[in-house]
Amino acid sequence: MEMSMRERDGVAIVDLNGRLDLSSGTALKERVKSLFEQEKMSIHLNLSQVEFINSSGLGSLVSIMKETRLRKGRLTLSDLASYVQEIFDITQLTNIFEIFPTEKEALSSYQPVATN
Amino acid sequence: MGTVIDRIGELLSLLQSPDFYEREEAVRELGTYNEDEAVAGLVMAMEDPDLGIRELAANLLTQMQGDIASRLLIRFLGHGDIGTRNLAAEILVKIGSDAVGPLIEDLDNDDYDIRKFIVDVLGLIKDPRAIEPLCEKLWDENENVACSAAEALGEIGSNKAVKALIVAIERVEDARVQAVEALGKIGDPSTLETLYGMLDTDDPMTLYAALEAIGQIGQKVSVPKLLPFLDSKDDCIGETALMAIVNISLANDGALDHDLPLDKYSDFLFNGIRNRNRKLTEFTLGRLNHWNGSDVIGSLLDVVDSVDEENHKRISEILEQAGALATKLILQKLPAASTAAKLIFLETLQQSVDEEMARKLLPFAVDQEPEVRQKTAQVLGVSGWSGAVGALKELAADAVGHVRATAYASLGWLVAENEIGFLFKGLDDKYSDVRDAALGALIVVGSPRVVEMFSADLNCDNIERQRLAVSALGKIGDPEVVEPLLNAINHPDASVRKLAIIALGRIQQVENVQPLILSLSDESTAVRKAAASALIAIRGEQAVADIRFLLDDEDVWVRYHAINTIGELGSERYAEYILPYLDDEQDVIKIAATKALAQMGSTEAIPRLNQLRQDKNKDLAEAVVMAVSDLEEIQ
Repeated sequence: MEMSMRERDGVAIVDLNGRLDLSSGTALKERVKSLFEQEKMSIHLNLSQVEFINSSGLGSLVSIMKETRLRKGRLTLSDLASYVQEIFDITQLTNIFEIFPTEKEALSSYQPVATN
Repeated sequence: MGTVIDRIGELLSLLQSPDFYEREEAVRELGTYNEDEAVAGLVMAMEDPDLGIRELAANLLTQMQGDIASRLLIRFLGHGDIGTRNLAAEILVKIGSDAVGPLIEDLDNDDYDIRKFIVDVLGLIKDPRAIEPLCEKLWDENENVACSAAEALGEIGSNKAVKALIVAIERVEDARVQAVEALGKIGDPSTLETLYGMLDTDDPMTLYAALEAIGQIGQKVSVPKLLPFLDSKDDCIGETALMAIVNISLANDGALDHDLPLDKYSDFLFNGIRNRNRKLTEFTLGRLNHWNGSDVIGSLLDVVDSVDEENHKRISEILEQAGALATKLILQKLPAASTAAKLIFLETLQQSVDEEMARKLLPFAVDQEPEVRQKTAQVLGVSGWSGAVGALKELAADAVGHVRATAYASLGWLVAENEIGFLFKGLDDKYSDVRDAALGALIVVGSPRVVEMFSADLNCDNIERQRLAVSALGKIGDPEVVEPLLNAINHPDASVRKLAIIALGRIQQVENVQPLILSLSDESTAVRKAAASALIAIRGEQAVADIRFLLDDEDVWVRYHAINTIGELGSERYAEYILPYLDDEQDVIKIAATKALAQMGSTEAIPRLNQLRQDKNKDLAEAVVMAVSDLEEIQ
């Protein structure tokens, strides 16, 4: 799986492309860990190019989520392909991950609420 | 044969009948005539001893409308019986603009009660023709009529009345408060200077009215005029001024450039939320982004069950932003909170729950309310704390299905590998949502032991369980599932074979494709189609040679699927396989071949396709036109 990094308004965005399984999940965990080490605590995963995820890939995401909580950071996901969405629905992981239909919506959720 | 007038005369006599049904029937029939006598009869019926008949007459009069009805009804505005009087007023309001002329004509009625009712009715009809006559009534000799005129002008809400109202404020002491209120309802900013002038009054009623009116006009520029009243020793004045500021704030999308002494009015604001005052709720929640000390958050927690669902979400967000302070206070208030509040609190805690917090939430796993137990199960799962497994297993045995379902899902999120046997028991639950949750949990865990147990299930004696097992193995999708899925290709049930093949196609990393090639000859068309797709997904173009023979399958839909599958590869080199099918007996095959050749970019097919442009089958002709258009672009 290919991974590329971007940053917008303080949110580290990881674009994933390919299949999220044991090896790519492990690589993703390493990548996120390095972001934490750089004090980047707001992480967004764009899954638009991920068409397949297996149990190991889910395990990696759950593990990343736990690590994010432990570090008081925030993790968001967006653009789930239909099969990936189906797997998230079946496993009810939709209840523990912050999932947005689009990256734009996810990033706007990081913006502080306007005050009067 | 009598005339209509004769018949109406008979009906009018029947209105005096002691028989209820005769009177009711007479009223109903009178309602079918447009003659003035019939209208008069209906008006008479408004004095019937029976309420039902009075209301029937009133409804019929409303439908008839017209000048006569209005004139007759106006007489009833002075009726001794308050019920009849109110009914007449109600009908006149319903008649609406048709009643305005007669009402205005009678505005100088000698009876001041009738004048007052006419003024009230005109205010409710809100017809601009009444503005000028009502302005004159501000100087009526009777103070009630003058007050009602001011109120009516406020109801109509036209700034044409502003000048007269301002004069009335200066000269008509009795109607001053109502005139000030009317200016507020009209909302014309040009009246603000007059209203600011009223803020020096010694009369508290006028002051309240002026403060409220300034608020209703909703101009930010007024706020500095209102601020000094927030320091008033009189709570009512201070609260009225704050309410005015609230209205101004809401009229300006919440924007306000002034610091307000909100702490002083904390009780007023939060009582407003408690009393479900929409404006105070909106204003207060809007200020909580930067007004969030310990007392404030504590007060907010006390009113969470007084707001609607949309505001629950806002409160959750506010509490989330308040962070550790909110968490600490929530944990203190949680045990004594109402069920609704507990659910909101748990939702908030879910955003930041960690092991330490999860420990403190364990008592709520035995809360008497199932919704609370269910939410607790979810929060414990989100916490990621493996110490919660014991409590979640208890919840997975709860009497309520929804609680069990959430507990199973949470066990999955905790990736409770030591509880695989327990999770499998959930697959036998009587409720499908519990079974689904247990299945989801097993997919997340997905360990070799889970694969082993599902593989064993493929050979159990329950066909539903076999199908669930093959589906689960496919969703787990790890390399360990490939072997059992390949074995499942030989399963006696076609749906199991099909699910296994679809899963293998999705997993793709399959070295031994022989079982898939064999299943291209499966007796089930669904299996043959699935096998073709899976082989292409796994081997790409290499699989074309294997699946090519399906182009001549006995089943038309298998042939159709094979053409589509090869077409989706988009490779022109296979066009020669597809071209002959433009001459197939079946139109559906011709259409599939047309589309496939376009996908392949086969310009060689254009001449033959052009011959099909005029085909009598419209779907085929349309597909051909589109295909040729696409191919010509390539050329």
